[in-house]
Amino acid sequence: MNSLNFINPFGVSEDPGSYVGDFYTDNFAKGAGEGTLILNLGPQHPSTHGVLRVIVELEGEYVVRAEPVLGYLHRMHEKMAEVKTPWQYIPNMGRVDYLHPIAWNWAQVGACERLAGIEVPERAEYLRVVSCELNRISSHLMWWGAFVMDLGGVTPILYAFEEREKINDILQIVTGSRLTMSYFRFGGVSADVDDRFVRLTKEFVPYLRERLKMYKALVTDNVILRRRLEGVGPMDADLCRRHGATGPILRAAGLKRDTRTDAPYGVYHKFQYNVPTGPSDDCLGRYMLRLAEIEASLDIVEQAMGSLPPGPVRIDKAPKAGWKLPAGETYFAVEGARGQVGVHLVSDGGKNHYRVKLRAPGFSNLSLFAEAARGVLLADAIAILGSLDLVIPEVDR
Amino acid sequence: MDLSIANFAQIIIACLLVIALMVGNAVVMVYVERKACGFIQRRPGPYEVGPRGILQAVCDSMKLLGKQIYVPGNIDWILYFLAPVLAFFPVLLLYLPIPFGRHLTAMNVDEGILLILAFSGLGVVSNILAGWASNNKYGILGAARAVSQAVAYEIPMIMALLAIVFLTGSLSLTEIVERQGSWPWQWNIVVQPLAFFIYLVSLVGETNRAPFDLPEAESELTAGFHTEYSGMGFALFFLSEYANMLLVSFVCAAFFLGGYKGPFMDGFWWMFIKAYAVMVFIVWIRWTFPRVRFDQLLNINWRWLLPLSILNLWVTAVIVRFI
Amino acid sequence: MTSIDHLEQIFRQVGARLVSKPDFKTRGICCSGLVPAKAIVDLAKLLAAEDHTLLDVSVLEAKEGFLITYHFDSFSEPGRLAARVLAPRENPVVPSLHSVFQGAEWHERESHDFYGVRFDGNPNLVPLLLPEDFSGPPPLRKAPGDLAGLADLGVFDGSEILDPSCASLVPARPAPPAAVSEARDA
Repeated sequence: MNSLNFINPFGVSEDPGSYVGDFYTDNFAKGAGEGTLILNLGPQHPSTHGVLRVIVELEGEYVVRAEPVLGYLHRMHEKMAEVKTPWQYIPNMGRVDYLHPIAWNWAQVGACERLAGIEVPERAEYLRVVSCELNRISSHLMWWGAFVMDLGGVTPILYAFEEREKINDILQIVTGSRLTMSYFRFGGVSADVDDRFVRLTKEFVPYLRERLKMYKALVTDNVILRRRLEGVGPMDADLCRRHGATGPILRAAGLKRDTRTDAPYGVYHKFQYNVPTGPSDDCLGRYMLRLAEIEASLDIVEQAMGSLPPGPVRIDKAPKAGWKLPAGETYFAVEGARGQVGVHLVSDGGKNHYRVKLRAPGFSNLSLFAEAARGVLLADAIAILGSLDLVIPEVDR
Repeated sequence: MDLSIANFAQIIIACLLVIALMVGNAVVMVYVERKACGFIQRRPGPYEVGPRGILQAVCDSMKLLGKQIYVPGNIDWILYFLAPVLAFFPVLLLYLPIPFGRHLTAMNVDEGILLILAFSGLGVVSNILAGWASNNKYGILGAARAVSQAVAYEIPMIMALLAIVFLTGSLSLTEIVERQGSWPWQWNIVVQPLAFFIYLVSLVGETNRAPFDLPEAESELTAGFHTEYSGMGFALFFLSEYANMLLVSFVCAAFFLGGYKGPFMDGFWWMFIKAYAVMVFIVWIRWTFPRVRFDQLLNINWRWLLPLSILNLWVTAVIVRFI
Repeated sequence: MTSIDHLEQIFRQVGARLVSKPDFKTRGICCSGLVPAKAIVDLAKLLAAEDHTLLDVSVLEAKEGFLITYHFDSFSEPGRLAARVLAPRENPVVPSLHSVFQGAEWHERESHDFYGVRFDGNPNLVPLLLPEDFSGPPPLRKAPGDLAGLADLGVFDGSEILDPSCASLVPARPAPPAAVSEARDA
């Protein structure tokens, strides 16, 4: 192609012969078809939200094959657990999934509590539910904005951020941080709520309900958006089953599977809320489902704030820094914004964890991308990737 | 038209004025676009540099001028540097037949619209060259999209304009404006609403603006055909995008909105007001709608715009001929 | 619960060596069993036929070798099921579940990265999370003294011993009753 490689006026040139491609591309390029183009989406690409890399084989605009390449944000959280005490490990959890850190908080603290048999005061359980659900709403809002941005609509993300900021303001009161929150402690939560928290939360619920109506009018009912999403990337229950997908993807496929109701933890059983399913297993279904989940979470927050019991927020004999977990194995799963968050914890009775395995929902959800993106248009592949709601730190852990 | 010295001097002066207009327009539009976008997204937009951020665009252009031109490896050197120039300079020519007043035209040619339509096709050539020469797969994909989109959208655009030409019986923009009156109900938009609508949709497609910005679709192709351009190379593409936008808005104003004619007092200010109204409309839809998919983009054109424009043309022809 | 008994039956059917029904409330697992490595694919097929999904694969490094735990969950009736395979420390090879659950591919690649367990039949056993130029042995625990025995970890706590050769994996005494640990920092 470059027969006209003249004298290089800027002195930047590359020897064409020395470049042979990298390991993953080479691995993927085996068996590439005739007349196809192998394209690297990422790790720095506007719509991979972080550092996901997807190698795709394109035939014109159509994706023949796609293969995500992970590991650009691997931070060895599991390995770190082996040299950290449970107390030291709490902040790690906020870093795993920066959009829904409180679910990960809950999974780790819950696993340790389950192993040690610690009961949590009722008020703390309520606060856990409130903070987790508020955080879920903020995660879904963030996804909503980012997803529409993937489709080329830049404006909604700024509206989503406005709401997210409000939630951050609320959660900041008790957690002290706005992004990588660490609110949970063994035997309770770190701080009790104050009047401002209660007032802001009670104001926020009706406010967001009104805003959701506006979102529907402005974005959801937009004909371009609907045409972009309808029938794109169907993921039926069988595909989800083979890949272990959970969360909104599975519920959009019509299965009513939600860890909050299937394996109740905390005080979720005390609230009346709707676990939305469907309406369809395509991108539009997942879009509608997540918006419906925001409303369900608002219901939970409203009920929990309405019936917040008095009492302490931590048990008296709460474990302290030198606390040792009893030997044993346990598994604790919670419902994160992206699906089932699980912590498989094995302790040998020592100071540090013996082994922690983090089950990231995004990891399994992303693994079905290769299958779902086969034969679709490149723009649809981006929409499918967006509809999986990926948080790369969580996928790579 | 005789090419006397006076005529030649007139064209030179006009070219200089047009360059000034293009650069000035880009500076203004950057500011307008960012402010409008900020308004739509409920944020202030630029406000740090100068009063109300008015100098932001100037600073941006200074930054672009001073930026290192980062050149990727294995490019086609000639085409790589030719492409931004090719994107910018044909637009100059296109401004020549635009009438800003009855006698305020750089080059009053009888076939003005023909000139514009012929040379506006050159813009897409620069996109192909840019995509091809920069040795980037996103660039190639963007260039491929640019070609099929330009080919598709030029046809209904021409058809829509042709309907007005049928009505007027002239290819000269001045003539077309002269046939319209000063008041809105005397404009062509009233007699040709369908043509106006078709033209409006295809001008968005023609200028590669969202929701039809497929050649540079950010979330898919990072920046499409100009992915590998930085500094002034990028600035020239940027400049030509706004210049193209202004051009199609001028044509829109001249063909459908009465051009330099307007209530109370005719004059070039009406041309600018109308053209900028169209521009603000383009900006507005850019920040409101998501992007269409590539097949949908072509479907809109081949299934709707093209048949509608042909129908419109037929009806116009019949009416002009028999009534 | 009948469904758990049914799952236990499936374990026995594929020749499980150890099987237990832990309390879901304290362990988070409702049925657990150690199966021979070659039986894991059969087990997965049986579970797949009953609408189960593979949620997670986690590898535990122990004195006895690598204990690979496959966490399954049912779509029709919630409850977590742990199928375990013990692979030797030298040359750990386990059949891949890719043919049954395509999602297993990534879990297995991850386990391969960090523990060096090879999965026979995985179509693409290349580094997933570790960089491609990562050389040397997998990042295991350094000192063999670090390793705990499976009996001490209580993984097979309360299991029914079906294969006597595996009796040493089961803790002799029942695990201490769950209670708030009193170990406090002085």
